[in-house]
Amino acid sequence: MVEAITPIALQNDETILLPERIGDLTGLDQFGVGGELLAAFLAAFIVGNLMLAMTGVAGPWAKRKITAAFTDRIAVNRLGPAGLFIIVADSVRLLSKELVIPEQADRPAYDLAPIVVAASALLGFAVIPMGSGIHLADPEVGLAYVFAIAGIASIGLMMAGYASSNKYSLLGGLRAVAQNIAYEIPLVVTGLSVVIFAGSLQMSTIVEAQAATLVPLGPIDIPAWYALVNPFAFVLFLVANFAEVGRNPFDMPEAPTEIVAGYQTEYSSVYFVLIYLGEFLHIFLGGAIIATIFLGGPAGPGPAELGIVWFLIKIWAVFLLTQWLRSAVPRVRIDQMIEIGWKGLLVLSFANLLLTAAIVGLIT
Amino acid sequence: MIGILKSMATTMKHALDGSTFTVEYPETAPDVSPRFRGVHKFSQERCIWCRQCENVCPNDTIQIVMDDQRNGEQYNLHIGQCIYCRLCEEVCPVDAILLTQNFEFTADTKHDFVYNKEQLKAVPWYKDIDPLESREPDRGAWIGEGEGEVDYQ
Amino acid sequence: MSTELERQQRPVEVTEGELEALIGDRALARDDHLNAPGFVVRPDDVQAVLTDLKEQAGFDHLSCLTAQQYEDRYESIYHMKKYADPTQEVSIVVPTSIDDPVSQSAEPVFRTADWHEREAFDLVGIDYEGHPDPRRILLPETWQGHPLSLDYDQEKPQIVTLSEHANPIQPDHHDAESDTMFLNIGPHHPATHGVLHVKTVLDGETVVDIDPDIGYLHRCEEQMCQQGTYRHQIMPYPDRWDYVSAGLLNEWAYARAAEDLADIEVPEYAQIIRTMGAELCRIASHMLALGTFALDVYGDFTAVFQYAFRDREVVQDILEDLTGQRLMFNYFRLGGVAWDLPEPREEFIAKTRDFLDELPAKVDEYNDLITGNEIFQVRCTNTGVLEPETAKDYGCTGPVARGSGVDYDLRRDDPYGYYENLDWDVITKDGCDNYARVLCRMQEVEESAKIIEQCLDLLEDWPEDDRTVQANVPRTLKPDADAEIYRAVEGAKGELGIYIRSDGTDKPARFKIRSPCYHNLSALEEMCEGEYIPDLIASLGSLDIVLGEVDR
Repeated sequence: MVEAITPIALQNDETILLPERIGDLTGLDQFGVGGELLAAFLAAFIVGNLMLAMTGVAGPWAKRKITAAFTDRIAVNRLGPAGLFIIVADSVRLLSKELVIPEQADRPAYDLAPIVVAASALLGFAVIPMGSGIHLADPEVGLAYVFAIAGIASIGLMMAGYASSNKYSLLGGLRAVAQNIAYEIPLVVTGLSVVIFAGSLQMSTIVEAQAATLVPLGPIDIPAWYALVNPFAFVLFLVANFAEVGRNPFDMPEAPTEIVAGYQTEYSSVYFVLIYLGEFLHIFLGGAIIATIFLGGPAGPGPAELGIVWFLIKIWAVFLLTQWLRSAVPRVRIDQMIEIGWKGLLVLSFANLLLTAAIVGLIT
Repeated sequence: MIGILKSMATTMKHALDGSTFTVEYPETAPDVSPRFRGVHKFSQERCIWCRQCENVCPNDTIQIVMDDQRNGEQYNLHIGQCIYCRLCEEVCPVDAILLTQNFEFTADTKHDFVYNKEQLKAVPWYKDIDPLESREPDRGAWIGEGEGEVDYQ
Repeated sequence: MSTELERQQRPVEVTEGELEALIGDRALARDDHLNAPGFVVRPDDVQAVLTDLKEQAGFDHLSCLTAQQYEDRYESIYHMKKYADPTQEVSIVVPTSIDDPVSQSAEPVFRTADWHEREAFDLVGIDYEGHPDPRRILLPETWQGHPLSLDYDQEKPQIVTLSEHANPIQPDHHDAESDTMFLNIGPHHPATHGVLHVKTVLDGETVVDIDPDIGYLHRCEEQMCQQGTYRHQIMPYPDRWDYVSAGLLNEWAYARAAEDLADIEVPEYAQIIRTMGAELCRIASHMLALGTFALDVYGDFTAVFQYAFRDREVVQDILEDLTGQRLMFNYFRLGGVAWDLPEPREEFIAKTRDFLDELPAKVDEYNDLITGNEIFQVRCTNTGVLEPETAKDYGCTGPVARGSGVDYDLRRDDPYGYYENLDWDVITKDGCDNYARVLCRMQEVEESAKIIEQCLDLLEDWPEDDRTVQANVPRTLKPDADAEIYRAVEGAKGELGIYIRSDGTDKPARFKIRSPCYHNLSALEEMCEGEYIPDLIASLGSLDIVLGEVDR
């Protein structure tokens, strides 16, 4: 226990990040700053596309299949094995639709909103260590960066809601902002309790700190994943995260039966795809943050090269959880959600922070 | 909290048992009850042109044209307008019109749904169910009778 | 079945003599209907007479208002009942002149008269003096003429224009002074259960005022029935009023009214089949109500909706075996039903029994999944509150009234069919909120299962030589001229009443449908003012309206 929570303050310079490795492999690093930039671009391209591909699978196919399993149906199965080619069909369908833009839309804001939503999530993946050497950047303020960049999405939602010139969208945008403000603070404060354990905001350090053994259990060592060290914080973080990304039971900003999909009502074609992708990316980013700071990042049995596999499994597990909740949990009302946020989670998260601080302080 | 977990357990149970209640239509054609009311089948051989079906039809779906000798000339039925109430079959004294179990019909325009007596005769039986037998067992079978071309006598 | 105790609690019967004394000189004449004594009163005595009847004689349920035109006069008939004992009825007939059809509004006495009188004005053309909101309700504001009046030209096509200031694409009016926002919920909205348009005024997320705008699905059902023959042509249409699976219950409403009008006896065996079929329909309808309500609260087409649909599917299979269709049954006939149980009979009975045997497990599943869920409870309790007195004032019936603690079920209180001889209970809940209505429907499903079980036992052991499914009814049915009747049955959504006036031909001269959804919907504004949008949607879902029946 003591070992597990001993802060590791040092930078670990030995970590090789993906851009450097690509620079090495392709020889781009010989060309100075330009070459490094190109290598970094290549690395970002790989990671970004990996994540986009995942949302591509999740949106048109996995979500349908999972929902169908919960509801005793068959779902897509005509195109390709297990209906997988529906992804292609859906992409063609969505992208070939007419882009309808409301006459009174506030143009730059209306056009920017989908990009902001999707980009903010993609940028977040830059600091996530995904194992197998896939790690784009490792700044000292990694965790703060990822919260900050994910928070930008609510600006995008607000822009979408306001600029659509639709009352339903406006309500959705306002709900999104209210929800994000109410849950951002508990989210960050709960994240801080992890920082107290790890003693660093750097993602790689947080992951490494979780590699220690919590309880030796015969041949298997239970690792000191913070979800196991502090399950209370883990649950708090999960709940706040679902609210943050707007999933059930906190899918108020969309709420199709109430405000007709809220901020995305007026979006069609490419813009709709971007918003939709952005939402899934945010689920995955939420999953990535949870995996990194609570579930030991890419850690798992087997050789270290399998890190990315374990990492993806953890992300998909969080995704599956959102879909599971969607099948069984009703949406709370807007006032109840705000109450849960301000009166419940905020208080609990501060209590959790104080307790953690006290315990860590006593031990060290 | 326990309630939420219970509901989650309920849906997960359904997800894991793998059973589905939807079927892959048209590969798995649904079973249709023998009493099911689908598209009509008409037999000119049986018809005595009494016009009772035309009179009873609640929304004027059946149109019968006769010459001045009261010989039947046309028997038209708009299967797209029909509400499938089976009153025509019920009033028919000679079972000349029957509702088969066939519910699968398509057309390019709604006008294609106006069936004349040849088309009504050619309506296929669904899964070889004989409606008459299942509905009025004492009246004998209809199936197999009146197949092929219309016999103009 | 009503127990002895309940019978004793029924209010003392008001005799005709007492009614005559109560109305006194205000009664110009008697105009008795087959179901109730009728009193003709002057148009300016309406409020006074109705107030006396309500307060002194206990007629607290304005069940229906029928408006119609004769050659020489207009007539509004107020069909009054008692919630405590609906077999006690009285009709107040209010004639008005052809030239100046003005009658006093009953709205100050009964809130439910609001929508009744708007409909009467809209379709027949009687003006109600003192009505707070004398607008058309089913037809567009700019419609010319009143379709059910005698001088209306049915052939003339009409171009319906927008009223002058309702330009749908004009920019929204921004008012810096105003704190509220106007929002159109519907007619195309995922949660309005059809084409309902709710004009909503919002203060933030709080509902300040609503105004349901109905009539998008008006299909002239009353007129269609007036053009059909009693014997055959009307029966297929009741299926299409409440089209989501309550078909047999609706057919029964017409069958009951027409059979009483033409004095037709229904064989006991047919009554049992009717009772069984009707309760199967009720299960199917309540399953759908449960599924769609959960859909409104959960917000996605997820598990609850699909499970409810899956279970409803089984009921529909059984009904298909019995009637030959899955929704538009056309199974009842005047004097009985179209068919006996399908052969082989044992197989059908076994199939139905299987369904009943599996039902408790499914109900448990719903309890785990829906009613036991804490978030669901938090969402539904104390929202959409409808106090019992308000419910009565608005003429609410069915599960909506019973969820508000109004113990009113026509199957028990005004028995028809075979219900009297069976053992079952009326479910009432005192919660008055959305949750109470959900619970009420779920428990009614179990009660219906009980009824079906008993019907199956009876059907199985019924003597073989007495299985008559239809009485001998003449092919052309011509009830006596000027006979009038108003009869109601307990439909899936509440009291479904039919008023028929015959003029001696084989078609009704006036056919009026008292739709339960119509009146349940009118109570929506009481339920959701001051609540949040999600609760407005949930309350609307808990009313379980079918727009086909609202608009007719």
